[in-house]
Amino acid sequence: MIEFQNASYSHSKGNGVNNLNVRIDDGEFAFLIGPTGSGKTTLMRLIYFDLLPDAGTVLVGKYSSSNITSRKIPMVRKSVGMVFQDYKLLRDRNLFDNTALPLHALGFPRKEIIDRVDEALDLVGLESKIDHLPTELSGGEQQRACLARAIVKEPDILLADEPTGNLDPVASFELVRLLETINEMGTTILMASHNYNLIKGRGRRILEIKSGVLRGG
Amino acid sequence: MDKILYLFSEGFKNIWRHKMTSFTAVFSLFLAIFFVGIIFSIGENTHEILQYLRAKYKIEVFFDQDIPNEKALGLVHKIKKINGVRTVTLIDKEDAMRIFKDQFGEDILSILGYNPLPVSAVINIVRTSKVPVKADNIVNKINSMDGVAEVRYQGSLIRKIERTYYRIMNKLPFVAGIVILVAVLVIYNTVKLSVYSRKELITTLQMIGATRMFIKMPFIFEGFFIAILSSIFAFPILIGTIETGNYILANFTSWGIRLSFDPIIWVKLIALSAFITTIGSYRAISSILK
Repeated sequence: MIEFQNASYSHSKGNGVNNLNVRIDDGEFAFLIGPTGSGKTTLMRLIYFDLLPDAGTVLVGKYSSSNITSRKIPMVRKSVGMVFQDYKLLRDRNLFDNTALPLHALGFPRKEIIDRVDEALDLVGLESKIDHLPTELSGGEQQRACLARAIVKEPDILLADEPTGNLDPVASFELVRLLETINEMGTTILMASHNYNLIKGRGRRILEIKSGVLRGG
Repeated sequence: MDKILYLFSEGFKNIWRHKMTSFTAVFSLFLAIFFVGIIFSIGENTHEILQYLRAKYKIEVFFDQDIPNEKALGLVHKIKKINGVRTVTLIDKEDAMRIFKDQFGEDILSILGYNPLPVSAVINIVRTSKVPVKADNIVNKINSMDGVAEVRYQGSLIRKIERTYYRIMNKLPFVAGIVILVAVLVIYNTVKLSVYSRKELITTLQMIGATRMFIKMPFIFEGFFIAILSSIFAFPILIGTIETGNYILANFTSWGIRLSFDPIIWVKLIALSAFITTIGSYRAISSILK
């Protein structure tokens, strides 16, 4: 469960989000739509406590922004998977090592890491590219690799910040289908996008953000 | 256990993954270790050189013309007991005559009809003293003895050598301190730059939920490995430099000095560099994680 209670955040340059009030329930798949600079990424960063609100509260599972400490933030992120527009894959290690990274961080035993990575790469259709470096993959494949890394730890929540921003229409459609498959397994998903055509007609809740103010929900 | 092994292996793998950064770090550290090692070696070997020079110090004592051999022998025993005297060699009138013949090729007895050369003694001073040798004190004591006619020695030369040595030894800790400080700054900043160049990796690790310790450990291990690698490279180069010095001394001088390199210096250098790189890595990564 994710809940914003009168949450606001201002960047030093002025923009940000203002008085957000929204709740995303466990197992829900919601889209966040808005133009560039509208506050989508700020809202996402508030969920994984990369930013803490200036006012109000953000609740993520049992954690609250009002009393979270820097030492506890990794605990929150253990239950939150993230997919980034720029992938954030480590270019100096292969797909297996990139995908296994969160599991090493969580202290999983080696045998389980191998099984889980195989499973995640299988799900995103990259099992044959396990030894490839990110630079040897296409944009769509890198985004799926990023998705595999996000889901390998089986998070409760998956945040996808403009995951289709660098992809062609076919790869974008495939990625959204993949996210729907993951959601069917019980993962709560919030996907930010500025591409309305991609998300309309899917029967999901659409949250619209403009100039830091949320509409809908 | 798997996690510790993973972090340890990551520290090692990072050196290979970032070859250029690692090479720069290893090379900078190697230079720093090498120069500190040379300074330590100079400190070690300066005393060897001083001992060599002290072996050349000589005090010549000429006894009265008519001194009986027994009395001269008695004086020699007295001189031997003076603090700072290593050996005393008595040269009686016959020995002096033989030395004269060796040096000048003439028999003084056949020229003059008598032997005018006095009984004398050659004194060598202790070489291993850790405090300055004061030849003047020894000479004063000998001069005050009854039966001594004249004492000759290289007073000003000895004073100059002793003064120069102790000046060097007094200043060496400061020079070593400055070199170590520069080395510490070089090592610290090299490690810091190496960590900063991977800020993206650190951010990504934070995003996926890695704890601060999980992010820090590979960098700390990496810093430690770099220190060990640099020390391993520095050791043969230091030995090589000392051996080159020995080759030059043996082939181009007749001093008979052999420079040495104490492996304990190397162990100290490893410990110093490992300590600095570990602390440097820890502090650099902590400043990014703030």
